[in-house]
Amino acid sequence: MTFQQARWDEPAVWDLTTSYPTSPPPGIASVPERFRRKRGVRWPEIAEPEVVRHYTRLSQMNLGIDTAFYPLGSCTMKYNPKVSELLARRPGAAQVHPYQPEATVQGALELTYRLERLLSRVTGFPEVSLQPGAGAHGEYAALLMVRAYFRDRGELDRRTEILLPDTAHGTNPASASQAGFAAREIPSKDGCVDLAALRAAVSDRTAGFMLTNPNTAGLFEGEILEIAETVHTAGGLLYYDGANLNAILGVTNPARMGFDIAHINLHKTFATPHGGGGPGAGVLAAGEKLAPYLPVPRIAKSGRRFRLDYDRPRSIGKIKTAYGNFGLDVRAYAFAISHGEEGLKQVARRAVLNSNYLGVRLGKLLPRPFRTLVKHEFVLSGTPLRERGVRTLDLAKRLLDEGVHAPTVYFPSLVEEALMIEPPETESRRELDRFAEAFERAVSDTPENLHAAPHHLAVRRIDEVRAAREPRLSWKDLRTAAVNVETPGRLAAGDEGSSPKDPGVAR
Amino acid sequence: MPRWISDEPGEEAALLEAVGIPSVDALFSDVPKKARIGRMGIGPGREEPDVVRDVDRLLDRNRPLARFATFLGGRVACRYAPAAVDAILSRSEFYTAYTPYQAEASQGMLRALFEFQSLWVELTGLDVANASLYDGATAAGEALLLCRRVHEGHRFLIPASLPWEEKSVLANYASGPGLRVEEIPYDARTGRLDLEFVRRTVASKDVFGVLADVPNGFGHLDEGVLDLRSAIGDVPLVVAADPLSLSVLEPPGDYGADVVVGEGQGFGVPPAFGGPLLGLFACRREYMRQAPGRIVGASVDAEGRPAYTLTLQTREQHIRRSRATSNICTNQSLVALAFVVYATVVGPRGLATLQTTLAERARTLATALGGIDGIAAPRFDAPYLGEFTLELTRGTSLSFLDRLRRRRILGGHALADPRPSAAPQAERILVAATDSVGEKEIQKYAAAARAWSASGGRP
Repeated sequence: MTFQQARWDEPAVWDLTTSYPTSPPPGIASVPERFRRKRGVRWPEIAEPEVVRHYTRLSQMNLGIDTAFYPLGSCTMKYNPKVSELLARRPGAAQVHPYQPEATVQGALELTYRLERLLSRVTGFPEVSLQPGAGAHGEYAALLMVRAYFRDRGELDRRTEILLPDTAHGTNPASASQAGFAAREIPSKDGCVDLAALRAAVSDRTAGFMLTNPNTAGLFEGEILEIAETVHTAGGLLYYDGANLNAILGVTNPARMGFDIAHINLHKTFATPHGGGGPGAGVLAAGEKLAPYLPVPRIAKSGRRFRLDYDRPRSIGKIKTAYGNFGLDVRAYAFAISHGEEGLKQVARRAVLNSNYLGVRLGKLLPRPFRTLVKHEFVLSGTPLRERGVRTLDLAKRLLDEGVHAPTVYFPSLVEEALMIEPPETESRRELDRFAEAFERAVSDTPENLHAAPHHLAVRRIDEVRAAREPRLSWKDLRTAAVNVETPGRLAAGDEGSSPKDPGVAR
Repeated sequence: MPRWISDEPGEEAALLEAVGIPSVDALFSDVPKKARIGRMGIGPGREEPDVVRDVDRLLDRNRPLARFATFLGGRVACRYAPAAVDAILSRSEFYTAYTPYQAEASQGMLRALFEFQSLWVELTGLDVANASLYDGATAAGEALLLCRRVHEGHRFLIPASLPWEEKSVLANYASGPGLRVEEIPYDARTGRLDLEFVRRTVASKDVFGVLADVPNGFGHLDEGVLDLRSAIGDVPLVVAADPLSLSVLEPPGDYGADVVVGEGQGFGVPPAFGGPLLGLFACRREYMRQAPGRIVGASVDAEGRPAYTLTLQTREQHIRRSRATSNICTNQSLVALAFVVYATVVGPRGLATLQTTLAERARTLATALGGIDGIAAPRFDAPYLGEFTLELTRGTSLSFLDRLRRRRILGGHALADPRPSAAPQAERILVAATDSVGEKEIQKYAAAARAWSASGGRP
């Protein structure tokens, strides 16, 4: 075992000092007395070098793609090109305000326009909006568009259901219900949509069907054309969750498969960094039925000039301030034009080849519940580990000790003790082999080691139950907790101006 | 072809052999012929130097803020961020990570997010902050939905002075569950909310929440907001607050806010043509289990050492699916990291000093614009911090701003809803004092405005 993550005994930022401003800030003459802050903001004041050292140490206790293989299923954790980072920091990309006059932002408008056209060709849909903030936000916006579409047709009162397979990402049903629809799950058969069940479920109540293809089991829904026909015949619309678009670039596209609208996660397929949880970008691409409802503004081209077009009377309006995550659009554009047509095809081909290769290797260690020809990801079941009293969770934690990130676990939920593994195109055969060997060591380790894992990270196994049962969600909570703990002599909390130390946590 | 995909001699053949298939094409045999496409119609790939040249050529067609005297603001701030902030954001252990599902491997981001939550709690005076939402407008949308979960009714009240984009976002967030957003009128002279209207409407018993923004959409402070709590009884109160203003203003939790949202971009990340932004969200503890989004909590590891993890996840979409409190999955973690690094480098007193400086500059500008024929600046008789609204009594905002632009001044932005369907609106411009403008730029602005006025308000 050679991996060891940094294990800094680094205090919380507020424990780096013992003094915080206690007096209220000097008043601004024009601000009414009642509105003025009566106490200082309780936050440390530390010189820059110490702040930088603090956050640098924290960074060293974090695993990213640049540190390790990151085979999180359905998250498409591919290498984030450095050239994209360089370009996104140019003054022409970063130091531009969304409300500058159009004449001064022609480059931003043109880049946006070009990226829209490019994504139009990738998806096969005529119109694209970059406005939504992330994949789930794209789903939500699209479903609001679906509402508007049926309202215009006088069918909204009736079409109240969104159908989705039981393999769907959790965001799908959550978006559906947030958009005011009843989400209804269709059971799968052999990991794919059960066409008979879908046929039985559609009705004149169906507003739409949300589908990821390839799905979260990594399987291509081969009956997609029949699925589309079934939904359309019932008068519903078909939504493409683009989380897994990486697998089909240049092979097929959502429009060709019969979908009416799609979202694309630029932070997956187009390699923009995920930032430890975000920002993402959930671009929408729509066919003719729904395109008029896309958020405003759209980018229009008049001669050689580009402008923001708000004249879309059927648009749902705004779903977010400004025009989307432009910083990510620049990165995604650089990624896409670097690859070009053949490169993007190669992205899908190599991602799928990697996945099948790793599937064959790991399939020798744990059972694969579905057919073995997969796309960008595959699912294993950790159920055989149970004989030794080991769970998938233990395996995931043990994998971390190998210096790799764990796969997605316990999803899709129709597979018991599931592990969902996605090795994107940017992983070499060597990395895949290293992961396979690590996986083999992990699976065959002793139950004691597996239960106790991880051993080589910044912390050992975390008590998640305690975190949820006794929620301590901020420094304020830690101070309160410190007061409640009976350790006289250490009780500094509530004593403004001194440093409260929580004996349990903030050391 | 970029070097991002390994292509060592024999590599692909070895992979194919192990899979036991003759060609990569065979891996796509499950895609029906009728669903296949030919070419996508995207040009050939480019080498890295060409990509840099091509993208730079596009970006050079933008005129970045530094070329102007900049008075642009609103929810997107033009504010200097110490270089240390981007240095931390550029740590690829942070920016190339995913959501910290494996807490043991992700302590760095989890701890940074816990610090971020703590900071928003301190600034707002509330109890529980989440780990961020997409932007201030969607955070307000999520707040609206939270209010409905905790209170009966169909009507949500917002100021008529709210920026049109936020009104539109809120209308969208309300539309799913069939809720209505209604506007609170404001006093024509002061821009202050009509509290009588609020009291009357709340008395209908059909109001499930009230939102007010501080400063308001015109940039002004409305003391009436401090009296909203008593005006609306037990109806949930949402305050949308500018985080910088909270360095000098009363924390909204202290005057009865149940939820405080905000736009946090100005703390550490550039305007970037409007994104990424940062949605801030905090609420009272009693609403903790109704909150949207990721929340980081403190716990301990197997050795009893402090450790952090995503928590209260039974609220979330991946567990609760259609009954989740929100559909949020990806948020704005990296921008949240920027927020806490920025605030810590600048420090609480530094933030208050910055806000004070911007307020002084705004005041200087308003004074310089005072008495110019055709311009009412500030339009409203109410206190303000770093931003205020001016109104043109002749001509159009567009032509005014265009004239300034030609003198290398970005003079603010028009507040009007640009959609053709919008009702006729006054020619109002939100003007922001930014940290890059001094006395010279302010006088330049005033001179350009006088010239505009002298020309009869023509472009």
